[in-house]
Amino acid sequence: MSTELVAGVLVGAIIGWLLDRWLGISPWGLIVFLLLGFAAGVLNVMRAAGVVRDQSDRLEPK
Amino acid sequence: MAANDPIHQFQIIDLFPVTKIGTSEIVFTNSAAFMFAAVIIITAFLVIGTAKRALVPSRLQSAAELSYEFVATTVRSTAGSEGMRFFPFVFTIFMFILTLNFIGLIPYTFTVTSHIIITAALAITVFLTVLFYGLYRHGLHFFNLFVPKGVPVLILPLIVFIEVLSFVSRPISHSVRLFANMLAGHITLKVFAGFIILMGSAMGTVGWLGGILPFSMIVILTALETLVAFLQAYVFAILTCIYLNDAIHPGH
Repeated sequence: MSTELVAGVLVGAIIGWLLDRWLGISPWGLIVFLLLGFAAGVLNVMRAAGVVRDQSDRLEPK
Repeated sequence: MAANDPIHQFQIIDLFPVTKIGTSEIVFTNSAAFMFAAVIIITAFLVIGTAKRALVPSRLQSAAELSYEFVATTVRSTAGSEGMRFFPFVFTIFMFILTLNFIGLIPYTFTVTSHIIITAALAITVFLTVLFYGLYRHGLHFFNLFVPKGVPVLILPLIVFIEVLSFVSRPISHSVRLFANMLAGHITLKVFAGFIILMGSAMGTVGWLGGILPFSMIVILTALETLVAFLQAYVFAILTCIYLNDAIHPGH
């Protein structure tokens, strides 16, 4: 379950860092996406714990 | 020092060059050799095991049937009977990881799954399969995955961003879990093994006798590692099923 949190933060950090490099907006991309990634990581953990519903529940039958 | 270096076991050794693509050389490594060995072992196990098709199965046939039943039950219970179309995929992944993990337990072998590039490649394959099959099956409707209901429009973009990041982070946690477990377990074993040599060479007879302590620890840890080897292959397979379930089932 700990990997879930780390994975979220890591993805946020990578995306933020890449955006910084491509758009030259350092350090704002890293700051914003690190925070978003942390939120995503917490969401991952809560999903793993069964507190939040799965994403797949949102797909209604056609 | 090499004998006492717990990281040494993870070294990739070039066996012979295969071809050259651009400037990078494609080399047949010990990692590739062990992967080939695993594929051969699995194929032999299943082909020889199911060759006789006896009504009263031999030990090997029973083991082959057991492995099929085990994975089939896992797929059915997590992804439903419709998920069975992915059974070959899940079974391949499970058997491949399980065999590689078990091969790695034998001393002097190489543990392929302790390299993140291998587990990441497997996890990304699963991720892309889920993504493309979901898009193929549900079309753009699939992106509803990221849009929760009943959220004020003002903060919806923020939530969608977080949901997308959560989705993208799945292959990372998926691959790191297997890789970290195998890496940590094997390093622990080698560190404890190193203690025996250290104590023996430092303190003579007393040291060698004291070496019984870390040695008994290795025995216990090896049993634990056997469990972990199986468990992590199972966890990888069951998470694959859960992710595939996202792509297959619209709502519950």
